[in-house]
Amino acid sequence: MAERETIIGEGIRVSGEIRGDEDLLVRGRVDGKIQITQKLTVEEGAIIEADVDVRALIVSGTVVGNIVASESVKLLASARVVGNLASPRVSMDAGAAFRGRVDMGDVEAARSAVVARPAVRPAQTSEQVEKAAPPRIAIPAKAAPMPTRVVPKLSAPAPAVKTTTTSTPAVPTMPRVSSASSANAPVWAKKKMIKRR
Amino acid sequence: MANTVIGSSIVIDGEVSGDEPITVLGQVKGKIAISQNVTIEAGAHVEADVEGQTVTISGRVTGNVVARERLELKTDAKMVGDAKAPRIVVADGASFKGNVDMDV
Repeated sequence: MAERETIIGEGIRVSGEIRGDEDLLVRGRVDGKIQITQKLTVEEGAIIEADVDVRALIVSGTVVGNIVASESVKLLASARVVGNLASPRVSMDAGAAFRGRVDMGDVEAARSAVVARPAVRPAQTSEQVEKAAPPRIAIPAKAAPMPTRVVPKLSAPAPAVKTTTTSTPAVPTMPRVSSASSANAPVWAKKKMIKRR
Repeated sequence: MANTVIGSSIVIDGEVSGDEPITVLGQVKGKIAISQNVTIEAGAHVEADVEGQTVTISGRVTGNVVARERLELKTDAKMVGDAKAPRIVVADGASFKGNVDMDV
């Protein structure tokens, strides 16, 4: 397994997505996305126009795109890189050209921002959303508490509006409006409640 | 070992094109358009239209294959799709479903 290596030769162009669990050596051209759990080597003359998510990255060629490397990034002297770079270890040789941001801090956060977001989109139940939300929204700290704070204040009609899209009755209290809460509700809301009865 | 190799754990979603020989051990979905030889090894899984000079298949291919020179289905090959090539070799044991066009 360790000696296994995928090579994209000089005369080859890949447009699309490359995923896998082995080392990848690029001498040609890749447009799209690269997601490898091992090492990616971009040789001199190679051009990569893609978001890159790898364990380790060694660049002698050209990379345009955001880079996330969970272990290390090495930009050798002939490297040309444009894009943001997130990795705990980053080294650049004299002569390497780089334009973009470097982030040696929270690689996981950078990865979820660059890579995981589109992958998480397919159908989720409201329960899953509630479970998944706190860690993902942990970065913009203000965003997380907002919905939970707002919902109880607008006691009666607001939850109904919010849950119309989700078919599952995840909020059991929604259809029943207690008289106590309707007493506190604004006039326009009361009218609606009366109509409903 | 110098040429292009798509390793067994690799999945490519999109198009692979170029002018040098390519060997596929992994998965390719989309399209392979190469002006040189294309080898699809046993264990490989290609869901793509394949175009090459000589196309040699030992793995699984779903899609149309056009070989400018020769198409070869080896013993382990499983192919579903139309084949177009002036010369076609199908080894004993290979399975194939689709149309054949030898340009006659």
